[in-house]
Amino acid sequence: MRRRLPVLALAAVAAGLAAVAGFGGGGAEPDRFPEGDAGRGAYLARMAGCIGCHTDAANGGKPLAGGAAIATRFGSFVPPNITQHRRDGIGAWSVADFARALRQGRSPEGAPYYPAFPYAMYTRLSDQDVADLWAAFRTVAPAEGGRSGNDLRFPFSVRQGLYLWRALYFEPERFVPDPTRSEAWNRGAYIVRGPGHCGACHTPRGVLGGRDQERFLAGGKDGPGGKTVPAITAAALRAEGWDAGSLAAALRSGLKPDGDVFGGGMGEVVREGTAWLTDADRQAIATFLLEPD
Amino acid sequence: MNRINFVLAAAVVGAGAMLAVSAASAHGGATGVVKERMDQMKAMGESMKTLSRMLQGQAPYDAASVRREAGAIAARGGAALTDLFPEDTGDPPSEALPSIWREPQRFRRLADDLVAYAEALSAAADNPRPGPMASAPADMAAMMGGGGPQAMMGGAPGAMIGGDPAALATMPPQAAFQRLTDTCGACHDRYRAEKD
Repeated sequence: MRRRLPVLALAAVAAGLAAVAGFGGGGAEPDRFPEGDAGRGAYLARMAGCIGCHTDAANGGKPLAGGAAIATRFGSFVPPNITQHRRDGIGAWSVADFARALRQGRSPEGAPYYPAFPYAMYTRLSDQDVADLWAAFRTVAPAEGGRSGNDLRFPFSVRQGLYLWRALYFEPERFVPDPTRSEAWNRGAYIVRGPGHCGACHTPRGVLGGRDQERFLAGGKDGPGGKTVPAITAAALRAEGWDAGSLAAALRSGLKPDGDVFGGGMGEVVREGTAWLTDADRQAIATFLLEPD
Repeated sequence: MNRINFVLAAAVVGAGAMLAVSAASAHGGATGVVKERMDQMKAMGESMKTLSRMLQGQAPYDAASVRREAGAIAARGGAALTDLFPEDTGDPPSEALPSIWREPQRFRRLADDLVAYAEALSAAADNPRPGPMASAPADMAAMMGGGGPQAMMGGAPGAMIGGDPAALATMPPQAAFQRLTDTCGACHDRYRAEKD
């Protein structure tokens, strides 16, 4: 019990922070969103991993009706139902609620989400992206259930702690292209740092689960399920013999040039995500990863 | 991303993570059945590499070679594969994760899928092969793997093609090859510790 005291103190501090209006918030969402394109939104939903993570495909779950638990050192996160079901899903939401969830990590009631939901990357989505995604989500058939909730270890089970986390690690921002770089590079940067949320696994996290941005994409030993996650920095990729062509091809097929396959969860990322993208987008990802600076 | 039995997650995250790390970093020096299965995996990787080059147009296509390599993979799948994973052989330098022995039926099913898809590829070796793939389909139903004519014409990810080996045997060989690749990936996602 004694060793928990500092942790309790932290929680108390966090609760104090929570009381400060707006601290760790994400700013306002616009009053109006542009007209959404459901086709483009469906594509983004694949790119962003919504469908892969929020669907328990292995156990025959309905699309987006809640995913399989993700084990981490903080405990087990269960991706909830995000179908149009009004009680169990997000069918009662407005587009602004949806935007606030995606780009600020807050529920319609204002409660903070755990960063297992990668809103710290989705914050780079544009207003148009949000509108397109929402248009796509509006077409999803309602399904019941999928609200069993997380099973987290103390002190991570104290949701108020997230205010502290947000104050330390979350900065709302939109993606801004670099005019000195190519269109493909900028598209890749947007996908990798935004909806593709590669850094959610490939950037190591500190004690409190904040990503160590000094070590962007540097890999780690603490991925989902406690698995090792390889570095995908340009230096690491080149050392492994990757080039843009082979990397783009592997993101389509899951097969590496040497005949091995991606494992450790990356196979699923390919099958549920990057395999569905256009060749141009896979090339863009490879272009950015191999020449980030 | 990974579906994992979270009852045992604490063990994986604690000592298990250390085990996985040391297993990955101590890759060499395998003996006995661990070395045997590493050699068999390596051989399947070589077959996959040869197949991949032919099916992706990086090497001349030869149906007889496709049948030979697919047959070599089929012979290494099923029980021939699972028999190489007896209990208590997961210590370093093995890269096998404990989940293999926690869910032997699921492991076996994937090993059997490997045979089914390798045989489907062999049967499809002489079928016509398409040109470059069409662009991805664009609506939520298609993106959720709902199939339908649009998704089938798009023909991109394996998930949309469907998993019936008999149907795959009548389709371009790329379709069965993608399912074969997906099967390798599904198994390695769940049962192999990754290297650094």
